[in-house]
Amino acid sequence: MTYYDVDAILTDAQKVPCTFELTVPGLGFLEGNMSGDIKHGSKVELPLWLGEMLALSQSLSTGTPLVSLDHPPALSPRVLNALKADARTVDLRALVPHFYNLGARVLELFEEEEMIEVLSDSFKARAAVIADQAHNPRGALGEGADFMRGLDENERQLFRASHDSAKAVRTWMTDIKT
Amino acid sequence: MALPLPPGLTPPEIAFICEMELVTIIPRQRLEGLELLGGPLKPLNPPQRASLPLWLALLLKRQRRANIIPPPWLSPDSLAAILQFETESSPDAFSPPPRLPPPPSSTTIPLSSPFLPSSTADAPADALPYHWLELGSMLLEAAPDDFDDADEVRKLLRGLREARMAKLRQGVEVLDAGGGFKMNGVGGMELGEARSFITGVVDGLRKIGKSREEARRERERENGYSPSQNYEDDEMDMR
Repeated sequence: MTYYDVDAILTDAQKVPCTFELTVPGLGFLEGNMSGDIKHGSKVELPLWLGEMLALSQSLSTGTPLVSLDHPPALSPRVLNALKADARTVDLRALVPHFYNLGARVLELFEEEEMIEVLSDSFKARAAVIADQAHNPRGALGEGADFMRGLDENERQLFRASHDSAKAVRTWMTDIKT
Repeated sequence: MALPLPPGLTPPEIAFICEMELVTIIPRQRLEGLELLGGPLKPLNPPQRASLPLWLALLLKRQRRANIIPPPWLSPDSLAAILQFETESSPDAFSPPPRLPPPPSSTTIPLSSPFLPSSTADAPADALPYHWLELGSMLLEAAPDDFDDADEVRKLLRGLREARMAKLRQGVEVLDAGGGFKMNGVGGMELGEARSFITGVVDGLRKIGKSREEARRERERENGYSPSQNYEDDEMDMR
């Protein structure tokens, strides 16, 4: 993850639900209220980079954080249960294009042993299908098309890498024939 | 970022390395000795057999000056036996690589893979050497008339390749961010093909498990676990 990594920037731009713990004057535009204050307890969707900074910063007098972060809807228990049931049928791309990156960022903020397990297991289960599709030129277009559409950005890179290497070997095999 | 090539070797590079393997030929014409970089080559006297590097053997074969004797493991019988071992006897592991010969004496350095003649006519028949796929395909293309049953060999090679690639792909299910996967006996071309996929999976798992990894390190540091040599190595691997 370098500074100019587009995927990291896009992951940081994901919206996460935040709850304001304090009343902040003049921030009402975040809620669509152009001139007012933002009230204590109001829920706003903020980009991850902003929400993270606000949640880590503490007010000097009270010691409470400015906002409290919540899990993004893409990592809600409903999605995790669906991944646990059958990882291959979940359309990750419809949830978030950078699903695993977002998961990794959220796991840096929250300690969730179970979420690590679920994400790793579904990544492995889906990687096996991706490898099958990458080596089978018809699979990605025929019956596997629905699955391929639901890949997140990391998985797409994985598919491209294994597809390219399989193609390089096939090209070499036909090249030696001439 | 500057290099457009993926990490690892491309198939033509693997095939180039494979061309150093020694194969046995029966020359049809006399040829004087050659001074090659890899050592001098004895003069070729038909019909005496000789061992040459694969690239020279392919050149002579193309000029119809020699016949190549395929290595024993490239016969239909041993390929069928290996294929049966792969699919039935051990559906989880790869067939083992050729056994190393015992070191000739305690003073000499024991030879291992790239310096052992694994593809000459007296190579072991019951195991696939490192360059089995590349060597087999190149020989089948350049010298199909030197095989007894080239079509059968071609079919068995393709079957073996499919069976072993499927195993490699299934192997990722047991992978873990820090775990391993036994790949003894996997050949050069197979490694080249599977490398980008396997490293991609490990990278992805590492990214997901990063927070747990850091928590574990933190704990170890608090428990007075002194960062050892190993620890430094781990840091390097994370890059």
